[in-house]
Amino acid sequence: MTARLGAWLDERVGWRKIWEAIFLRKVPKVNWFYTLGSATLFVAINQAVTGILLTIYYVPTPDHAYDSVQFITTQVPAGWLIRGLHHYGASAMVILSVLHMLRVIFYGSYKYPREMTWFTGVGLLMLVLGFGFTGYLLPWDQKAFWATTVGTRIAEVVPVIGNWILRIMRGGEELSALTLSRFHGSHVWVLPALLVTLLGVHLYLVVRLGISSVPKSEE
Amino acid sequence: MDEQEKQDYLEAYTKKKEKGVPFFPDLVFKDTLIALLVFVFLVAMAFFLGAPLEERANPSDTSYTPRPEWYFLFLFQLLKYFPGQLEVIGVIVLPSLVIAALVALPFLDRSPKRNFRHRPWVIGLTASLVAAVIILTALSLLEAPPPSVAEAGDQTAALYAENCSGCHGSSIDVQPGTNLHEIIAQGRHEEGMPAWSADLPTDEIDALVGFILSKSGSNLFVENCSECHAAPELVAGNPLVLRDSLEQGPSFPAHSSLEIPQWVDILNDEERTDLLNFLAAPDGQRLFEINCASCHGQSVAFSGEESQLRTIISQGGLHLEMPPWREMLSSSELDTLATFVVNPSANPDGADLYNDLCSVCHGQFIPAAENIEQARETISSGGAHETMPVWGDVLTEEQLDALVTYTLAAASGTPLELGQERYAKNCAICHGEFGEGGPNPARQDDVIAPISSSEYLRTRDDDTLWAIISEGQPNFGMSPFGAAFGGPLEDDEIDAIVAYIRSWQQNPPVELPPEVAQAPSAASGAEIYANVCAQCHGPEGEGIIGPSLRERGFQSQNSDEDIFTTINLGHEATSMIAWGGILTSDQIQQLVTFIRSLGDDETDLPAGPVSFASDVLPIFDRACKACHGNLGGWDGTTYGAVMTSGNNAPVVIAGDPEGSLLIQKLLGTQTEGSLMPPSGALNERDIEIIIDWIRAGAPDH
Repeated sequence: MTARLGAWLDERVGWRKIWEAIFLRKVPKVNWFYTLGSATLFVAINQAVTGILLTIYYVPTPDHAYDSVQFITTQVPAGWLIRGLHHYGASAMVILSVLHMLRVIFYGSYKYPREMTWFTGVGLLMLVLGFGFTGYLLPWDQKAFWATTVGTRIAEVVPVIGNWILRIMRGGEELSALTLSRFHGSHVWVLPALLVTLLGVHLYLVVRLGISSVPKSEE
Repeated sequence: MDEQEKQDYLEAYTKKKEKGVPFFPDLVFKDTLIALLVFVFLVAMAFFLGAPLEERANPSDTSYTPRPEWYFLFLFQLLKYFPGQLEVIGVIVLPSLVIAALVALPFLDRSPKRNFRHRPWVIGLTASLVAAVIILTALSLLEAPPPSVAEAGDQTAALYAENCSGCHGSSIDVQPGTNLHEIIAQGRHEEGMPAWSADLPTDEIDALVGFILSKSGSNLFVENCSECHAAPELVAGNPLVLRDSLEQGPSFPAHSSLEIPQWVDILNDEERTDLLNFLAAPDGQRLFEINCASCHGQSVAFSGEESQLRTIISQGGLHLEMPPWREMLSSSELDTLATFVVNPSANPDGADLYNDLCSVCHGQFIPAAENIEQARETISSGGAHETMPVWGDVLTEEQLDALVTYTLAAASGTPLELGQERYAKNCAICHGEFGEGGPNPARQDDVIAPISSSEYLRTRDDDTLWAIISEGQPNFGMSPFGAAFGGPLEDDEIDAIVAYIRSWQQNPPVELPPEVAQAPSAASGAEIYANVCAQCHGPEGEGIIGPSLRERGFQSQNSDEDIFTTINLGHEATSMIAWGGILTSDQIQQLVTFIRSLGDDETDLPAGPVSFASDVLPIFDRACKACHGNLGGWDGTTYGAVMTSGNNAPVVIAGDPEGSLLIQKLLGTQTEGSLMPPSGALNERDIEIIIDWIRAGAPDH
């Protein structure tokens, strides 16, 4: 039965080719460090799923942000788990992507023919830090408020356009409701869109070029 | 890599692939295993630690030390090594370089070699970068509170170390003319500096201002004065008294019984200036309050040049004598001039007279007058004995600068009626007609605290109020009212509202917020008193460990609000704790009422004969001494001076209160000059005490 359904679908969708291209390709023998990339991908998916669940209850206004986060943590069934996964997932994301990058540097994997994979990877790392920075303000607690106050002020140090950047980030001279909605908008729409795009290219290249091998001592 | 090397690599890779394993299931199994481990770890963190959530964001909280999330800590730490102008290096240049290096890595490292043994540079640099980030993060986590700059016994330096040095380091450069008191009190949110007014009493803020502006003054204070004085107790003191104490040395009355050196010999001019700048910091608003407000009220109307004002303040009016104009002007001219002075816009004829006769001395500064009768009286009688002190002799250059700047800014006010009208239209809905507050319509179960209380007004200066009105307080549900933030009010309208709110400080619209004033009194106040206060203050308020509460001195020197505040906030360094944390404000109010009732038997008049030292002199100290010290004219500081000094001496005729000029001036029945004090009559009880004392023969005991 399953085989027939698979055949029926394959005739119309052609999934077997895709399956073969992605999963049945042969790859060089590698060590455990090569799992860091997929672990990062896994945490990214975790962030997306828990993030989407959080937006169901979260309200991005100064009046309600804190209360809604509190509601999620204490009232929503398994809300503590969803928020906990998202919170610690953020840290895991930073750690894993940095470790993944160090592995790539150590084995020289950014070299021909994988330069483009490397560029998209650097972009993805910046996006991860952007997620961390914008997501931090959303609970609207003391730590969020003051860390973002200090964090956004750093932008003002940029010569000439510093104050302009600051006002764009804050939506005015001061941290306000506008800042919150800007950070929220970036965190749930702008950055994810960029992330999905870059990640798509990154993964396509990984499959197309194959993962690099562990270089022998003479290589 | 040339074409050959590329070819070689691809061939070698293909071979390795052939010897390799299929992605599924071999690698997928490994990936899944790791993903599962990560997931279990995350769940464990969520379960055992939970995602933290601190207190709700509070933009006015001052005690909060902001720290970024841990993975930005290294950057935060890095900033500490690039202070001031160098900040741009730590913040922009270094991170940009690292990012640029990352992006360019495939171009920088072009050799075909991949094993780490052949790439010492890349591996070495990466390793040192990683090490640097780890070390910076560790330092940031470990770094103890900033090194204290406090020396033994220097309380102000300790205060500075505790509150300021964490962000500002050991010293701060301040532009001349900066109102530092204001900056400390209200903070600078856009730069991440919290408002300190909630955490530090005004005295301590003043001490900090003095410390920051005049560090050498602070050192001199520690060396010379701190053995007897605590800095917050002296700062913001009356500059007249401070200067006297420095100039008179051992002959300064309060120092007379002590072994005090002649300061003039020990400290040179510059050092004394430093010391004065520390003790009465160059802070215009404070200086105005201390020196000018007793005669001029909250602000003076002045529209002239800064240099003019400077001259007026520094020269004072002591050396000028205003002629009795009734000898030179007709009655109708006097009337014209008087109406003009009271309301310059109403009477253009008066402007000519004023320009001809008065502006020579008064400049464009039209002297304040409450009503036409008073103005007429002043103009017609003339006189010199109640003019302004020569502040130029008293204040340091820095203090004078600050005072002039502030007075000018405060003088450009707007009429209160406009403010009142705008207030009623925009603010009264939530804050109440008298600023008494009420339930917060924007947030359930939240109460808007009174904004007309002296507590509130004292701890917020005009700029803070202005900012609150203009920008709103979004997280307390107050929307912005300033046009710049999309609100309905123009800048000058906000000015007017601020001026109106500020006027409550002088003329409280209600004695106490209604919910406090309406609270049931006495009965339960007595119970609370017996349980709580009687242990130290005695069951009848006679005082045991704590001071007596029934004594007239206590009762007359403290307003209801003072008592309320003392109970609410306690007294530092005594066993009087802040009861506000234990008692509700209703209960404290009941206590205040009860404590007032303790004094009832004694509030009328002192039993027995009035004493000069303990009854009369304190009134002079409080109400007269600011001007009637040793600046000439009548001197109200000692018994001898009270009895003998005065331009038209003597002002006290023992046994004849009605004939004594002092009493006439206090009652407003005088024929020369105007009512004293210029800010308004003393309360009846004080006047009665002085009358009784004179009637009893003005004895010195």
